[in-house]
Amino acid sequence: MKTLWDLFIAFFRASNFSFGGGPAAIPLVQAEVVNKYKWLTNEEFSDILAISNSLPAPIATKLAGVIGYRVKGLLGATVAVIGVFLPTTLIVVFLGGIIINYADSPALQAMLKGVRPVVAVLLAQTAISMGIKALKDKPTWCLAIIALIIMLFFPSVHPAFLVVISMLLGYFLFKK
Amino acid sequence: MLTDLWNLFIAFLRASNLGFGGGPAIIPLIQAEAVERYQWMTNTEFTDAIAVANALPGPIATKIASYIGYKVASWPGVIVAIAATILPTIIILIILGNLLVKYSKSEGLKAMLTGVRPIITALLVVVAYEMAVEAFQINEFIDFFTVVIAIGAAAGLYFWKAHPVLLIVLSMVAGYLIF
Repeated sequence: MKTLWDLFIAFFRASNFSFGGGPAAIPLVQAEVVNKYKWLTNEEFSDILAISNSLPAPIATKLAGVIGYRVKGLLGATVAVIGVFLPTTLIVVFLGGIIINYADSPALQAMLKGVRPVVAVLLAQTAISMGIKALKDKPTWCLAIIALIIMLFFPSVHPAFLVVISMLLGYFLFKK
Repeated sequence: MLTDLWNLFIAFLRASNLGFGGGPAIIPLIQAEAVERYQWMTNTEFTDAIAVANALPGPIATKIASYIGYKVASWPGVIVAIAATILPTIIILIILGNLLVKYSKSEGLKAMLTGVRPIITALLVVVAYEMAVEAFQINEFIDFFTVVIAIGAAAGLYFWKAHPVLLIVLSMVAGYLIF
């Protein structure tokens, strides 16, 4: 019961304080799941992120589903996913009409402007903490740099494609 | 009523599960379903729905699904639209996640994961970079405060191991006061 509550709270916090779309939730989920509750190691989180990223649909609910299931089965998955979407669903349905009036208000825009640099810093920190574990030698560095170049200069290449290719490459490069 | 629910299910199933690339990629697909195909709302109403969704935290797709689902078929509509948005990939991922655990000792899988981790790192670098480009649009002197907020957040993370949620709340207060 305690674990289910923790799952709910963890994903409630991670999702409902993430401004700026899906990826903004990643550092927050990591903070809850790896640092605070220690349900997963950094590598396990990174692996789950990899498979989640190669499928469509919102990243926060995907992470909640997989991690909730890993921690506490189907019930865990359900509770975590509900923690992600229920609060904003209720707000949208009951207060949608009011929020429209404030969506363009200078106060909200100012708050969102304040939060953006923090989201950028949080994402950078997540990238660094994953990089420390992922980039162990020259081949892994090469893979990362090649992927980075492809993503920056050929944005039409889908990340899911890179994920699949890198797993195939990994199989041949790193298998002992 | 049942037709509406079925249409909602199909619309959000298609929009969300063909929407590779996360939330923002899904928006035009939902628009195609809700405005053009099923004509549940006008373009202006859809823009309002996006504005509401953008003002709130969390995944964009479930917020839009809630908004449109409720408008079309009340609470059953909300449930059907959200289920269609998130369930299919969650089920696939739980199965994939089980395979990940089951074969975690296999050398082949370990090698594949060693290959994919650098790519996920690069992906996060790109996302952080794009977010930073958007955040640090320095047009006026006051915009330099975004740099101050970013440095403050980085210091909070490294020196005090601050919880990200705390940083987010503080930055919103700072944004309100400064901008």
